[in-house]
Amino acid sequence: MLTPDSKAAVATRWASLRRLSPPALRGPARFVASLVIALLGFGIIVALQGENPVAAYQDIVDTTLRTKYGLSEVFVRMIPLLLCALAVAIPARVGLVNVGGEGQLYLGAWAASWVALSFGSLDRPVMLAGMFAAAVLGGAAWAAVPAILRARGWLNETISTLLLNYVGILFVQYFVFGPWKDPLSANFPQSKPFPASAVLPALSTYRLHFGLVFGLAGVAILFAVLRYTRWGYEIRAIGGNPEAAHRNGIPVRRYLVVMLLVGGAMAALAGFGEVSAIQGRLRPSVSPGYGFIGFLASWLAGHNPITIVLMTFVLAVLTAGGDSLQINQGLPFASVNLLMALTLFSVLAFRGSNRVAAS
Amino acid sequence: MSTPFVQAVASGSIRSGTSVFYAALGEVIVERAGMVNLGLEGCMLTGACAGFIATAEFGSAYPALIVAALAGGLFNLVFGFLVVTRRANQLASGLTMGLLALGLTALAGNDYVGRKAEGLGHWEIPGLKSIPFAGDVFFQGDLLIFGVVPAAALVWWLLYRTRWGLHLRTVGESRTAAFAAGLNPSRIQYQALFAGGLFGGLGGAHLSLSVAGVWLEGMTSGKGFVAVALVIFASWHPVRALAGALLFGGAVAFQLQLQARGADISPFLLDTLPYLLTLGVLLVWGRRRQFQMPGGLSEVFEGTN
Amino acid sequence: MPVQSPRNPLLILLALVAAMSLALVAVACGDDDSGGGATTLVVGALHVGSVKDNGYNQAMHEGLVDMQKNVKGIKLIEAENVPESADAERVMENMIQQGAKLIFPLSFGYLDPALNVAKKHPDVKFAHPAGFKNADNLATFWSDTTSMAYLTGIAAGKESKSGKLGWVIGFPIPNILTSINAFALGAQSVNPNATVQVIVDNAWVDPAKEAEAVNALVDSGVDVVTMIVDSPATVVQTAEKRGIKSIGFHCLCVKSVAGKGWITGIGFTWGPLFTKYAQDVINGTFKGENTIGSLEKGYAALADWGPNTNADTKKLVEQVKADLIAKKVVIFKGPILDNEGKVRVKEGEVADLGDLLGKTDYLVKGASGKIK
Repeated sequence: MLTPDSKAAVATRWASLRRLSPPALRGPARFVASLVIALLGFGIIVALQGENPVAAYQDIVDTTLRTKYGLSEVFVRMIPLLLCALAVAIPARVGLVNVGGEGQLYLGAWAASWVALSFGSLDRPVMLAGMFAAAVLGGAAWAAVPAILRARGWLNETISTLLLNYVGILFVQYFVFGPWKDPLSANFPQSKPFPASAVLPALSTYRLHFGLVFGLAGVAILFAVLRYTRWGYEIRAIGGNPEAAHRNGIPVRRYLVVMLLVGGAMAALAGFGEVSAIQGRLRPSVSPGYGFIGFLASWLAGHNPITIVLMTFVLAVLTAGGDSLQINQGLPFASVNLLMALTLFSVLAFRGSNRVAAS
Repeated sequence: MSTPFVQAVASGSIRSGTSVFYAALGEVIVERAGMVNLGLEGCMLTGACAGFIATAEFGSAYPALIVAALAGGLFNLVFGFLVVTRRANQLASGLTMGLLALGLTALAGNDYVGRKAEGLGHWEIPGLKSIPFAGDVFFQGDLLIFGVVPAAALVWWLLYRTRWGLHLRTVGESRTAAFAAGLNPSRIQYQALFAGGLFGGLGGAHLSLSVAGVWLEGMTSGKGFVAVALVIFASWHPVRALAGALLFGGAVAFQLQLQARGADISPFLLDTLPYLLTLGVLLVWGRRRQFQMPGGLSEVFEGTN
Repeated sequence: MPVQSPRNPLLILLALVAAMSLALVAVACGDDDSGGGATTLVVGALHVGSVKDNGYNQAMHEGLVDMQKNVKGIKLIEAENVPESADAERVMENMIQQGAKLIFPLSFGYLDPALNVAKKHPDVKFAHPAGFKNADNLATFWSDTTSMAYLTGIAAGKESKSGKLGWVIGFPIPNILTSINAFALGAQSVNPNATVQVIVDNAWVDPAKEAEAVNALVDSGVDVVTMIVDSPATVVQTAEKRGIKSIGFHCLCVKSVAGKGWITGIGFTWGPLFTKYAQDVINGTFKGENTIGSLEKGYAALADWGPNTNADTKKLVEQVKADLIAKKVVIFKGPILDNEGKVRVKEGEVADLGDLLGKTDYLVKGASGKIK
């Protein structure tokens, strides 16, 4: 056993070891530096493949930021990432780790689809409101299981949200391959197409859709609540020290449950956006891992809402522009994963030890 | 000439459980040392890809197993740089490593898609093979299948009967305490990661060199995540991981064997069972002492690390 | 916990170098020759898997390469492993920006995205496999493998000792069920007791599951297996390992990875059709029609025989093939019962090919599997 004294001694030794390292690069500078290193690293790989890295980056910029269509596609990618990152950031503010964004996204997609497929005759505003509400409820309900298990102290939410991802995806696939399979799609696993009233309005002539409003509103509300309300104060108190918060009469359990439910609802809205605006029906694959990438984005952004916007934008540019790596440079489609992973790797390595930014 | 159903499911469980078993066994070592690697999927992919490339180049799968294991180990060391040296968030680091492996193996394995490689040979143990039921289930298979029980025993022995295992578990309970006891937690965690990666790589190699006999990008299709769940299900114990792998592999084999005999059950609902069972096991037994997770690991899961 | 500052940047660089040394394994040569001469047409193609899969995607790719050989000045842009998600639309748009005037979205799941893009770009033509919706600038194509499946069924029936035949399929879609039914009828024409067991994988690509499906079939007594999944390689190789015989599908090339148990296979030969599409676009005569190839019309063929296939099996198949072309043998001629005893084609009637390929939702007597 460690006595308090020896504990202190150990802590000092740790600290002295750490102090040997040079002073940190700060904030944005560090982020830019890690981005540059990642781009350099990927450039070397591209060069090893016998392609021109400068041209590759030129193509990525040309196909994303230089045209209206490209920019719209960046936002199309960014919407689910942003919402899934919020699904992580909101519970993280009270110290919860939500790795279940992917499953919550699928449940949101499922619930929104249920409304669209069951009540086809509704008017557009009613239909969309119904789908919105169903998605929010679906995602929150899916998050409620881990939330309650956690609040009661039975099981920590990291494990339960992680496990429920797979259950959620399989649940949706059961419906797509079974009861909801479209008889007119020649037995292919997909639902009937949604009625026109169930398609979220576009924000431009391209595919950029209303989901962006959900995401940005989420960011604004989170920012405002944290900064200007008593809730924000209490959330920060719980994030800092739940024991002390509890002693000060803050209903910690209630906050834990509510924050995880709100997180689940955010991921569910990402699912709603994908099925409604992008796919127009429920298919077996709603997301290529947005929940997990959103988790990374939030973590790398220190769960800070404004930084999350920046982070998801960068990731969206990389992935949306990644197509051109294959089309113009002849690299495998998955090399975009490499580019993204190197970026994340280098940000993680630079940030090093991290904690919830709330404290 | 058909095989009795129970026997077919049993050998099917072993065949499809083997790759997940090795990955889970490696992850047991890693998690016992207080870390969780959500990039296990990537570790398996790396092993599957490196093993296949080496087999195609050497013309034999046996030296390729060594390459696959080392590739898995190397992969985990890179993960170690993030989580041990840089103390970065483990969950985020694991997911990042998974993406990294997906991209790297797609690039490295691109020229090997569609190639044929002589995979692991099928062996039968003379004499024992002719025992009814047991002969077909236990005494035939490839090198990795025969290695399952010895591997579980080896890891159990390493963790519970050697000084290294004791040190590793001490680090897994608390890095600070281990440091105070004069251990070098970082070195031990790197060792655990390397050892775990060897097994993860072998698990992947079983997919590309025995089960499927081909290399395809992303061919692990979620098995790494199954293995992570399996480790929790096995409550961080190598022998229980063996039982769990048979159960998880059994769910796949059971469903396909049923289909082959004309019966039917929705594969999707059946596939949820391992995850729900894991949740159930945690809820029922999670607080008992012998089923408790290593202290350092609970810090990771509770977000305080 | 104390906040830690980063260590020496050198260390970080070292780690990156380590990560990249992993990538060094990846040194592959990118050979990128778009050929000399003026470009007459830019063609884009989206593949759902790898074009070296010895299967579906390779057959498509070989067709495209054939087209490139036949029509001078074609620049071909191919994208592999494109997910059937929001990405597909963007990849097509990018190809159009690269000047593509003809696009092959070569997987079923690209149909909705392709229709969306087609609507926005009336000047770009699309050709989609197995689609059931057309547009003025979106043609669909497939090849009816019914007759060939009947022939491989005969071969399987002759070569099987147990009379139990197995299929591993991705999804129970009508044209696949029709092939299975034709296969079963062919097998039963030489062995009235032949049965066919179908396993549905619910994935076009999942090698581990395909292998276990073959194992399960072998365990249930099957001794000839065939498949419709993207890559036949795993099924063929697993069959070989278990000492049973196999029949390929999708790509004639899969014989190159098969062993002694190979009987024959069905492969698509898309070259002539893709060539026609390219010429139609160049000449301005492209039409959004549905084209279905067949044994007689082409676009699919039987693969070479395996080393151990019996001579009389080969002879019988050749003979029935001639009879099918001469219409002396008609496959779906009533009475045809399904496996629940319901009459699906009445006595004296012949099933309509369009209905068979578009609507089949049953397996014939002697065939079973979960197809609903």
